[in-house]
Amino acid sequence: MIEKTYLSAGRSAPLRIRVNGRETELDVPPSKRLLHVLRDDLGLTGTKRSCEIGRCGACMVLVDGEPVNSCLAMAYQCQSKSVTTIEGLSEDGMTLVQQCFLDEGGYQCGYCTPGMIVSVTALLANDPSPADTDIQEALSGNLCRCTGYGGILRAVKKAIELKREQTG
Amino acid sequence: MLLNRETSGGRWRIRPDGTGKVTGKLAYLTDLSLPNMLIGRVLRSPHPHAYIRRIDVSKALAMPGVHAALTAKDVPGLNRFGIARPDYPVFCEDRVRFIGDAVAAVGAETAELAELALAAIEVEYEPLPVVDDPERAILDDAPLLYPEGNVFHRNEFKFGDIEAGFAAAAHIVEETYSTPRQMHTYMETEGGLFVPGEDGRLTAYSPTQHGFMDRMQLSRILAKPEAEIRVVSSPIGGSFGGKDELNVQPYGALLALATGRPVKLHNSRWESVRAGLKRHPMKIRMKTGVDADGRLVAHRAYVVADKGPYSTLGAEVLNFATEHVVGPYRYGAVDVDTVSAYTNNGMSGEFRGFGGNQAIFALEGQLDRLAALLGMDPWELRRRNLRQAEDPGPLGQPISVTGGAGQVWESLAGSALWGRRSDPALRSSSTAPWLLCGIGSAYVMHGAGLGVGIPDPAGGRLELRADGKIEAAFGYEEFGQGLIASLTQMLVEMFGFAERDIVVTIGDTDVVPDSGSTTASRATSMMWQSLRRMRGPFGGKLLEAASVALGKPADALALGEGGIRAAENGRLLMNYASLAASLAASSAQPIRTQTRFSYPTSPVDRVGAHYMYSYAAVAVEVEVNTLTGRVRVTDQYHAVAAGPVINPQGYLGQIEGGSSMALGFALTEDAVMDGGHYVTKNLDTYLVPTIVEQSGGVTVDAIEELPEGDEHGPRGIGELGSVGLAPAIAEAVYQATGKRVSKLPIDPALLQERFRFD
Repeated sequence: MIEKTYLSAGRSAPLRIRVNGRETELDVPPSKRLLHVLRDDLGLTGTKRSCEIGRCGACMVLVDGEPVNSCLAMAYQCQSKSVTTIEGLSEDGMTLVQQCFLDEGGYQCGYCTPGMIVSVTALLANDPSPADTDIQEALSGNLCRCTGYGGILRAVKKAIELKREQTG
Repeated sequence: MLLNRETSGGRWRIRPDGTGKVTGKLAYLTDLSLPNMLIGRVLRSPHPHAYIRRIDVSKALAMPGVHAALTAKDVPGLNRFGIARPDYPVFCEDRVRFIGDAVAAVGAETAELAELALAAIEVEYEPLPVVDDPERAILDDAPLLYPEGNVFHRNEFKFGDIEAGFAAAAHIVEETYSTPRQMHTYMETEGGLFVPGEDGRLTAYSPTQHGFMDRMQLSRILAKPEAEIRVVSSPIGGSFGGKDELNVQPYGALLALATGRPVKLHNSRWESVRAGLKRHPMKIRMKTGVDADGRLVAHRAYVVADKGPYSTLGAEVLNFATEHVVGPYRYGAVDVDTVSAYTNNGMSGEFRGFGGNQAIFALEGQLDRLAALLGMDPWELRRRNLRQAEDPGPLGQPISVTGGAGQVWESLAGSALWGRRSDPALRSSSTAPWLLCGIGSAYVMHGAGLGVGIPDPAGGRLELRADGKIEAAFGYEEFGQGLIASLTQMLVEMFGFAERDIVVTIGDTDVVPDSGSTTASRATSMMWQSLRRMRGPFGGKLLEAASVALGKPADALALGEGGIRAAENGRLLMNYASLAASLAASSAQPIRTQTRFSYPTSPVDRVGAHYMYSYAAVAVEVEVNTLTGRVRVTDQYHAVAAGPVINPQGYLGQIEGGSSMALGFALTEDAVMDGGHYVTKNLDTYLVPTIVEQSGGVTVDAIEELPEGDEHGPRGIGELGSVGLAPAIAEAVYQATGKRVSKLPIDPALLQERFRFD
């Protein structure tokens, strides 16, 4: 069985993307997956490799603010776009969402956590007070095998609550 | 105590490894890379069963950028691995026995090249008949995987007059239960980085549940002394038993030594599916009789496990199932036979729950069916047959005494969820008559530790380092369970140190003592016992040294946050760095305490019998959609009796997370095979629970009380949560629909009804 995700047909071409706020120029095959561009070419290993068919969400990043499974996005599709990975959510320290995951224990092995936090960040950016069903919908593409999602849900609810308090 | 953040108060702590996990900065071993590394790949068999007639790697080797193409003849030492019995080929020589079997491995400069190199390896196979049914595998006319036959392992347990028992029974239930090929589905697939050193040493950065076991096995494969191998094995992106055996390590190590360059392997999900371990599918036939009062008079069980082609810990898993099909009840007579059969199916092996999940699903199903025949409350039936605190264990062996069995029974009986059973509004809703609700329960008694007859060492080390940090070194692994957090919490609470005083060192065979494996719900128990043993000697040495340095009597001093404090008022007298400096200045021996012991065992000669048990009772409410046949879990209650809660966040996470695995086991998870081939190849068809399936509430009651004078402290909770929910769901579905479930995952077609909408 050929592993298509590894194979990147065609010659390298210039790719200009903004990654975590920094303009970046790379020479990569246009069909190379964003996941591998991030991990292998840019050393941003916070974005995780797991199913590579867009089912688990471990590789979730923001592309122009929208959550995208980076295993499904090819380099050329990201031309001139702005990509934010887990490393780029906060300059230094942590975002409120990250802090809430930490406080509530919304992780165990932590391998799904970056993707999960990226999805939660996108959800709350669009809707600061999502209903329970909206939370479920937004996170249904992020698999966590350790927690049973209990700590994750508590972290998300805490983040919503604190955000509400902050904005009064 | 109802366990949550609020009730835990100040004991709810942020995990020391948490910041790296939520920021993405923590490097897992599969995140590591080196500039000059090669990419390693393994060529696996396309056939579930075949002779190998010829392997030719010359075309692959001739490709520029391909630095090695290895086969069986390139293995300098033992071409086999396996924790209990090394029979798993690193590379198959002349025969493949399952779809994950390896025949060659390549190291190349890029992933693309490695892929092309695999395609250039020529292997000629001669297919053999495929044995894909464990029951048929042990019939006389079955094709053989091995000349000795397809029976891998048998066990039995019998007492009393079973036929007289059935003759005296008022009711008898006979049922056959089937359980799925559940996949661990750790989010991080197997992988790692293998680095040859200039000094001839090899470092394997690769997840495992027992670094020293990997080192010993790699030493055997490589024909290289253990001292020349270093295994760095944490952090790990999930394991659940699945990374207990070697996986990519032999290939990475061989390729690194053959090429003299660092080699990285990181399995794709499909490769992880085809080569990785799964939970043993089991078929369990049970016949159980009760008298008119509901006393269990006779219990017969016959278990057939699908082993796949090699041992792994399959014998131990079967022994565990033999013990747990008996479980926590008293019987007039018991007659258990179990067999594990070789097949050409996927590789079965160790998985959280270790044979208990399958056994208890069947056993609890019997109790529920008997209760229905008796017209008795199913929980009352359990009470009438429940073991008492002083009773021997399931195999008649002496076990550590706790009141856990009765405690969790009481807790569940008094829970709000269980109380809702009698609510007439529960069963169905008038607005959506196709939705039916029901509540079920199950009982779990789960053994921990490896059991009688298996080396089960434990231990650890404490040291005051030169920089003043208190270092706790253990040979355990962090795969997400919160081991570092639990160890830190114990050091804070048992010794009085501050978290900033402590350095935890784990997961590196060069620097940690061998503490035994991080398996079998044993690590927290063993760390607690280690610290308890070391507390007196280590604390004493610290105070003695401080006494010399400060010129004060040792009994006027106490260990505390930041350093040595006055026993009287807690005032800081000397920080740990100064204490370490004063030791160095006086050329005194560094302060270091080490302990080594074994997991306690029962004084019997029955291999695998356990000594320490944890208890759980689980109640669940489900909603069955009879249009779709889908089952939704709406509420869960877990009563757990496992001694003191060491780390509330970790404990809660183990029960919530474990039960999520049981939910998948019950409702959606099955790595489907057809003729020895996986039909289920990735997470699009292998369905682990999402947040949608887990939207119902989960309440955990942690019962901490132990008998006075108990010496064993915290019992294991790592596996317990993964067991009871599945049988509880099956009973809840019965309560909702009147339909009995005997096969997991539940087939929605079983629960679908034709509806007329008028």
